[in-house]
Amino acid sequence: MRLIKFLAVNLFFYALLKAPGLLAGKPVPSSVITMYMFFIVMTVLLVMTITDEGANGLFAPIRSLLEDPSRALARKVLFVLLPVAAALSVQYLSTDPGPPFELRSAHPAPPGVVRAYGKVYELDGLENPLRALEKENPAAFKELAREGGEVYFRNCFFCHGARLDGRGHYAYAMDPLPMPFTGSDTIAQLKESYLFWRIVKGGPGLPREGGPNISSMPAWENELTEEEVWKVILFLYDYTGNRPRSWKD
Amino acid sequence: MALHEHRTECSYSRFILRLKRAFHMFAGGLAVFFLILAASPQSASAKEGDTERGRAVYEKRCWWCHGPEGDGDGPAAEFVNPPPRDLAFGLYKWKSTPFDEYSPSDEDFERMIAGGPHNGTPGWDGMSQTSMPGWGVVMTPGDIKDMTAYLRSLSGLERAEMSAVSLVGKIGPGPESIERGRELFKDRCAECHGTEGRGDGTKKLRDDWGARTWPRDLTKGWTFRAGSRPEDIYTRVTVGIPGTQMPSFADPFSNKAMTEEERWDVANYVASLDEPSQRPVPETVLKAVKVEGSLPLTHSSRLWDPAPEANYFLFPQIIAGDKAYTPSLDSISIKALHNGKEAAFLLEWNDPTNSMPWDPKAVEIADGQLFPDGAAIQFPAGEVKGGRPYFGMGDGRKPVVIWRWKGPEDEPGKESFGILKARGFERLSRKTVSEDAGFEASGVYENGRWRVVMKGPVNHENGPAFEEGAFTPVAFALWDGSNGDNKGRHVMTGWEWARLEKETRGPSYIWPFAAGGLVLAAEMLWLFLGRGRKD
Repeated sequence: MRLIKFLAVNLFFYALLKAPGLLAGKPVPSSVITMYMFFIVMTVLLVMTITDEGANGLFAPIRSLLEDPSRALARKVLFVLLPVAAALSVQYLSTDPGPPFELRSAHPAPPGVVRAYGKVYELDGLENPLRALEKENPAAFKELAREGGEVYFRNCFFCHGARLDGRGHYAYAMDPLPMPFTGSDTIAQLKESYLFWRIVKGGPGLPREGGPNISSMPAWENELTEEEVWKVILFLYDYTGNRPRSWKD
Repeated sequence: MALHEHRTECSYSRFILRLKRAFHMFAGGLAVFFLILAASPQSASAKEGDTERGRAVYEKRCWWCHGPEGDGDGPAAEFVNPPPRDLAFGLYKWKSTPFDEYSPSDEDFERMIAGGPHNGTPGWDGMSQTSMPGWGVVMTPGDIKDMTAYLRSLSGLERAEMSAVSLVGKIGPGPESIERGRELFKDRCAECHGTEGRGDGTKKLRDDWGARTWPRDLTKGWTFRAGSRPEDIYTRVTVGIPGTQMPSFADPFSNKAMTEEERWDVANYVASLDEPSQRPVPETVLKAVKVEGSLPLTHSSRLWDPAPEANYFLFPQIIAGDKAYTPSLDSISIKALHNGKEAAFLLEWNDPTNSMPWDPKAVEIADGQLFPDGAAIQFPAGEVKGGRPYFGMGDGRKPVVIWRWKGPEDEPGKESFGILKARGFERLSRKTVSEDAGFEASGVYENGRWRVVMKGPVNHENGPAFEEGAFTPVAFALWDGSNGDNKGRHVMTGWEWARLEKETRGPSYIWPFAAGGLVLAAEMLWLFLGRGRKD
């Protein structure tokens, strides 16, 4: 019984790791699955054999298969199947390893300062200078967000999408995929200063763990003015209904 | 002469359409007038969708491309190809109602707006090869009804009176039907769509709004805007594409009119032209097959046969410098071979024009200045340790090597092939290669398709650092000179993976047998020891 439970728990985690590939078409790399499964199997084994009773329960079916005289037939079948299984798994493992996989952090830690537009920005405490208008002058704020939208639709939507969900009409040709702004797990978790850094410095400005060599994000400091960047940030939050995290949170 | 007749006949049917539209606008205006007079607004909105609510959704989501008044002139308009539809004009390309019915059906509107899962382009649910996304994931069916009502109000369009083209006369895609379709295609369609259907009829076409249009490449079913089943194609042939040179072949006034059976035959033939194997599959590894002896320099060599094809999507260079906002090429097929010392790559892609300046047709249909077509392969310069170079032509620390082939520029057969070393797109050094170094390239253009072979030594200072069995990053770029592609304006892939396969002796079974034998031996040992214990 405990053996079945052991297998079921491991199978559950395996299914969990396979699900993104089977359901959403974005598979987790097999090297990562292997690594995770190793730790999962070890951990489950450790937890289930922590008491003698538990260990006995877990191994009892195996022992009975090997020793119980009434199960001689099953033993013989196993005797034949085991070498075949070993040969097949070696055969499977020796075919086609996948390409190397670079782990990539979608939201790596930002640097302390950003140098752009002939200035030095301390990211710590940096606020969107246009944000204050939201309360002071809602009409002017709305207009700025709309202007930010125009910046977005002239420069960004090809990749990040007209729905702002990271699925623009060229997104499918790119790996990694462009970032979505919708949902509560992207820009809603970030401060506006973080977006400012990501937009101004783009892919090439990412730290190593962010995959600067494969990101298609341009460094917009060469194309957009400082004001345009702050306006487009207003738009991203305004359109998606997300709120930026503030330094007070 | 034939062309001239065709034009007049087209404008005649368009004149009829315009008359009809004028009448519809008048009738629509009258209807609205009476509605306001008589009907209660609630009953109208329940059936038709609420124009005002549609406007609200439009002003949040649609105007960025289609413009504040629906004229197709939003801020994004000049950066997309095809251009956003001019909704105020009321002419819709992708409708299923007959050619003499101006209005698309409710279902047509719903399909155009909502989109849906796509069988060709993973992750894209909008209209194929356009920037129109599928709004079904963020708009409710009610929203889409309201939107439809609002769109109709923008051009004073009535609801369609005629229903969609009937599909009940369907003829199955049997070999006889396809054969009849092939003959009809030669006569009616090849003029624009090319003899092999790759859209290479080389006619300069413009739609009613003055924008360039390209006849569809019929070998890529996954790019069809409104579906690629024989039923979809039959509907297209029967209805035409309003506003473009694609006529209705059911129009009795057309000298190219076809009977219902003939249109099904053509639809079946066109559906048979689809080459789903060309459709890119994400994360494909390019496998270079090992062959003995020298590598081929022509695409027709039988040596390519065992090499599997890898297909990749292309995206335009819109990252830095001169950006390619309106690309014309969307995918590339690659095969690779090696012999341990050299690697050869066969690049195939469909391009409606050959961009050769001495060809009067190429000059006539070019957009602006005509540049030669081209292709490039990019490798990291040297070994890949601690990550790949920047995919956009390398960076200061990690340079890349680029094999750059250019189609003939001045006279037939005069192609060029050079090796570039780059540390970022602004830091290039070019070397012209001589054949003694072993670098060679050759391209052939035929029936709407380029086939270019590039070959060169591996583990050379100007070649990829390939090791048999190991994965090496590789990236590709293409230029369509008649689309204004030149230098930084091109389409490209990101880093893909290539691998030089080991000997082609077939899979080895030594290790599986060894493992099986080992387990068997362990079992015997266990039996032997167990018996000893019992005794």
